Amino acid sequence: MDSVGTIQPSTLSTKDLHWRILWDKDKCTLCGKCTAVCPVQAIELGVHRKRLVNVPLGLEDKPSNVYTVYHGIRQRTDVEHACVGCGMCNMVCPNNAIVPVRNEEIDKLRYHIHKDGIPRRRGGRRNSPESLLDKIKFVRISMLTDPALDAGRHEFELRTLLGRILPPEELIERERNGEWIPPVREIYPLIIGSMSFGALSPNMWEGLMMGVAYLNEELGMPVRMCTGEGGCPPRLLRSRFIKYVILQIASGYFGWDEIIHAIPEMKEDPCAIEIKYGQGAKPGDGGLLMWYKVNNLIASIRGVPPGVSLPSPPTHQTKYSIEESVAKMIQSMYMAWGFRVPVYPKISATSTTLAVLNNLARNPYAAGLSMDGEDGGTGAAYNVSMDHMGHPIASNLRDAYLNLVKIGKQNEIPLFAAGGVGKNGNLAANAAALIMLGASGVQVGKYIMQAAAGCLGSETDRCNICNIGLCPKGITSQDPRLYRRLDPEKVAENLVNLYLSFDTELKKIVAPLGRSTSLPIGMSDALGIDDRNAADRLQIKYVV
Amino acid sequence: MTKYLKIDGMQNGKRIESRILEERIQEAIDNGHRNIEVKAYGQHGIGGRLWRAGEERVNVRITGAPGQRLGSMGFPNTFIEVMGPASDDVGWLNAGAHIVVHGHATNGIGNAMAQGKIYIAGDIGARGMTMTKYNPRFDPPELWVLGGVGDSLAEFMAGGIVVVCGYKPLHPDNILGHRPCVGMVGGKIFFRGPHKGFSTKDARLRSVDREEWSWLTKNIKPFLKAIHREELFEELTKDRNKWQVLVALKSHERVTSRPDMHWFRVDVWDKELGAGGLIGDITDIDRSPIPVITTGELRRYVPVWENGQHASPCQANCPSGIPIQKRWDLIRRGQYQRALDIVLEYSPLPATVCGYLCPQPCMQKCTRRQQGLANPDVSLLGRESIGANPPEPAKASGTKVAIIGGGPAGISAAWQLWLKGHDPIIFDKAKDLGGKITSVIPSERIPVDVVKAELKRIRERIKHVSLDTPVDKEKFMQLRKEFDFVIIATGAQKPRMLKVDGIENATPALDFLTLSKQNKARVGKRVVIIGAGNVGCDVASEAARLGATDITLIDVQEPASFGVERQNAEAKGAKFLWPRFTKAITKEGVELTTGEVLEADTVIVSIGDQPELDFITDGIETSRGFIKVDESYRTSDPRVFAIGDTVHLGLLTDAIGAGRIAAMAIDDQLKGKEQTLDRLTPIDTKRVKLEYYDPRVTSFCDINENANACASCGLCRDCGMCETICPENAITRVDLGNGDYEYISDGDKCIGCGFCAYACPCGIWNLVENKPLEELG
Repeated sequence: MDSVGTIQPSTLSTKDLHWRILWDKDKCTLCGKCTAVCPVQAIELGVHRKRLVNVPLGLEDKPSNVYTVYHGIRQRTDVEHACVGCGMCNMVCPNNAIVPVRNEEIDKLRYHIHKDGIPRRRGGRRNSPESLLDKIKFVRISMLTDPALDAGRHEFELRTLLGRILPPEELIERERNGEWIPPVREIYPLIIGSMSFGALSPNMWEGLMMGVAYLNEELGMPVRMCTGEGGCPPRLLRSRFIKYVILQIASGYFGWDEIIHAIPEMKEDPCAIEIKYGQGAKPGDGGLLMWYKVNNLIASIRGVPPGVSLPSPPTHQTKYSIEESVAKMIQSMYMAWGFRVPVYPKISATSTTLAVLNNLARNPYAAGLSMDGEDGGTGAAYNVSMDHMGHPIASNLRDAYLNLVKIGKQNEIPLFAAGGVGKNGNLAANAAALIMLGASGVQVGKYIMQAAAGCLGSETDRCNICNIGLCPKGITSQDPRLYRRLDPEKVAENLVNLYLSFDTELKKIVAPLGRSTSLPIGMSDALGIDDRNAADRLQIKYVV
Repeated sequence: MTKYLKIDGMQNGKRIESRILEERIQEAIDNGHRNIEVKAYGQHGIGGRLWRAGEERVNVRITGAPGQRLGSMGFPNTFIEVMGPASDDVGWLNAGAHIVVHGHATNGIGNAMAQGKIYIAGDIGARGMTMTKYNPRFDPPELWVLGGVGDSLAEFMAGGIVVVCGYKPLHPDNILGHRPCVGMVGGKIFFRGPHKGFSTKDARLRSVDREEWSWLTKNIKPFLKAIHREELFEELTKDRNKWQVLVALKSHERVTSRPDMHWFRVDVWDKELGAGGLIGDITDIDRSPIPVITTGELRRYVPVWENGQHASPCQANCPSGIPIQKRWDLIRRGQYQRALDIVLEYSPLPATVCGYLCPQPCMQKCTRRQQGLANPDVSLLGRESIGANPPEPAKASGTKVAIIGGGPAGISAAWQLWLKGHDPIIFDKAKDLGGKITSVIPSERIPVDVVKAELKRIRERIKHVSLDTPVDKEKFMQLRKEFDFVIIATGAQKPRMLKVDGIENATPALDFLTLSKQNKARVGKRVVIIGAGNVGCDVASEAARLGATDITLIDVQEPASFGVERQNAEAKGAKFLWPRFTKAITKEGVELTTGEVLEADTVIVSIGDQPELDFITDGIETSRGFIKVDESYRTSDPRVFAIGDTVHLGLLTDAIGAGRIAAMAIDDQLKGKEQTLDRLTPIDTKRVKLEYYDPRVTSFCDINENANACASCGLCRDCGMCETICPENAITRVDLGNGDYEYISDGDKCIGCGFCAYACPCGIWNLVENKPLEELG
């Protein structure tokens, strides 16, 4: 800290911060790269005076003082410039002379992030590395009891259905009578969850979409990506790639007039429409895209003038009940594409999920339900919402699935689970667990950012500054100086690699269960957990 | 005819179990039989493991229906001939047996075979030749099939040769079945006829080369002979081009190749979407990849050389606005005279005020002092200023300004107006110019010569001084009419007195000091001074000079006095008491509200003075006895300004500063300029680095040492630190001639690290955010 004599209540030392910069004077070559790259100016060049008291041995002469000055890298300790631990300094350091390390004690910084009475806001997700999904094991290894499959040898059709699936007798009846049959898409069960153009940088968004197109067209994997609430680039709307896209509509309705204008020119129908009612990262809260992020590009995609703040309220304005919300929105969105495109709602996982689900079960148009659990990520939210609001996904999904089983519709309304899938890197295992608990597919965002673009954010509060537009990897920034660090082609390549390896891992999980042509949705007899309470709650095996 | 030992798989009408049959065959071998005919009824593993015969050839002929794993773990000495079709896993784990099947065989033929040969006279089922090996100690295993094969041929095949002749296969459209070669890592498959794909990840298809053809045509003969179909030789070998071969990919050939993403972007993505990809239609921003460390417009931060664009704390806190840091800088550059001269642009009384009388608010805020280092001695600079030469005034404008009052405020205003080419005329009721400096301030505090010299310097420039000219209402109205502007600078001449009994027995400090200055004052031995501010301290010192021995200053609160005045009073033995509240002044002295009496021969009241404003006209607003002004000291009458103590009681430097500002405001107005009042924003002292100085030096012996010690806040001291510290060598010093220079940072080299800003001792470089690449509407 500065060698000033006075302190304020919020004056902190490096020990009080979450991250401390370790700097090695011997290794440092004072190249300036670390201070140039630091997203939050947490470090600066420091001028240091060094005193040496020269004492002649034997004290025959008088001791003397020698002062020297050296320059080094100094960590700033004010709240606005607290290190976020991203480690970019280390990344650019030619001599590995600098690195942020986590302070061993819980930081004191957290008590001071309340400037002007505004509590902490950030990006990322719940700051807790715990994951129930990680604890779920696949205990049914059917090498002899079922036809055992070999993940490498067998052909797999790991596909899922998105859309309202009619019972066979009804399907036949309707076909016979030439009646309307709900559209159903056969898609890959790992869906890229809604991250808007605006939340993500143009290079990130294009990279992801390019990767999705590649997966579909070069590798035959029907991967789908949801736009999030930020509209959809006009060219994409008018291209054949739109069929790989799930368009999201949310409370801000951004970009929807542009989408409507594009409908007559569309070559293909979009995969589906997701109506967002809630988000796992900040249940019950909305968003505000600050005016300074609304550049010409984002403005034109969202259909607004540049430089205007864009609020997404916590709720849709014209919906006053579940019945109305669901019926009205689903009907409207179906009509847009002549009832050819499935429409489903996305909600934050909640103890009231079943009320929504029961409503959907009675609505013959509802194409599914997406549930976003407490570990879902976001580009910007209040810390309190992220850390403390929301429902864990596992039990919420399980309740929903078992409820469908109870009413005999588990094969009719697909459930999609999201929120912390792969939060500790175990994407396929978490996805498979959710599928076996009853999900028809999973939606992921954060893992995609980490694997496809090198997002540094973590559940132990590293980086997580997506909200201020300074993403050091260029993933969530709208500043070309930052997002040009990200090459869309490389994002696309990484996305492809991630999908291929996920695919292999998922096969490694489902093959020993004897499944190759259909996803083991709800195959909960394959699941075990070494936690009695969790086993009881999820109705899976308790194994030790 | 060779004689065969017949072993029947049926005994007494009952099928014997596989274990018994195996025991009987092994027993026959033990007994020396080398030709055995087995009539099979589905028994398992017939014909394998006949090692007891050593290297002697054993022929096993099988009639009936053999069970699974015929010839399993077969030895090289064993020759098995199945006279009809065979079941699953023929030759399983075969270690050398030669097996001929005169019919179809079912699944798993040759599974895990490592040596030996299997000849099939018909088709085989699924998973033929799977998991086979090639052991370099032996010849590779071979599987020959006359017809076609079922699904999943050669899964995990690691060696050996399969030949599929495609002669009258069960599925003529696909003789290789579904997905052959999955996991195949070794060996090859010759085939003749149509196929429907294979695992391209594991194998590749090519034509049969000359060497292979020669092997094939040679080895097909014994195969055809063994299955008694030698007549097919011609048909099967007449056209080499009908044969193809699948070979396992070698490790280095297995790099999973998929279309290049760049190709995809250019040929698929951009082709569908248009040039520029996803958003090429709505933006032309360059989105191509850039490095993390960038220069030019891609830098996030840019250093700006803000030399002289901010006021140092001393200048910012000098009411007269004197750029002290600049004076020290000139001294460091050896421009001693210029360092003295420039002060006259700010104050006409630098030696008097800076050198002696000013309590130096500038140094209260000195960056060095704020951080515990000794500040330079600015009074030294002040005293030297006696030798300062005034600048040339601007061209005469003809504007006449009446200044009422010839004290420091009035003199300052007149001086500044003169500098700007205007014509100021001072009116003062006193006989001498100088106001309180000449009439009140004790001569102990300021050598008379200094004041005289500075007043002389002023009188030589300000020609129009009308002394002994009191201004009353009538005169004021006349001045206002005749002059372009009027500046009221009459000071605070009316002593404030307490409203207590016996106040008439007390002397106002102003009167006392005026008389004292003229050596006409008289005091007793015991003096009580009510009001212990700096004026009270001056009174105490003067009282002591005049012979008082017991001097007490009282105040209602902790005295606000400080600096030289306080030190002088304390040196004279004056006592300070507080809080003390005066009830009355009696013959004994001062009676306090507590009833205590402070005995005194002389009581002097020093609780401040007030302006006398009887002469001003009604159009000029006042408040609590002072004239109301705006920040440029303009009164509610736009042509009348008021400065100094008529506005607010203050220091001499406040009065001088007010005079300067009022003069600037008048000048700005005359020139139609926006009023800037020449004020710079103060520098953030965190930008100034004191680590470059020795903290143990507490005093400076001469003007040069003082000049060197000054941190030069906001003013470049031309040390070259920035040039040196810049890691990219982006900063250079540019000589502008006449001793002027600037440092510039080359944007094409600078990476925006901020080293210049944080290393600069004077805080000149400022690191600012680069301007956005896109301006929002």
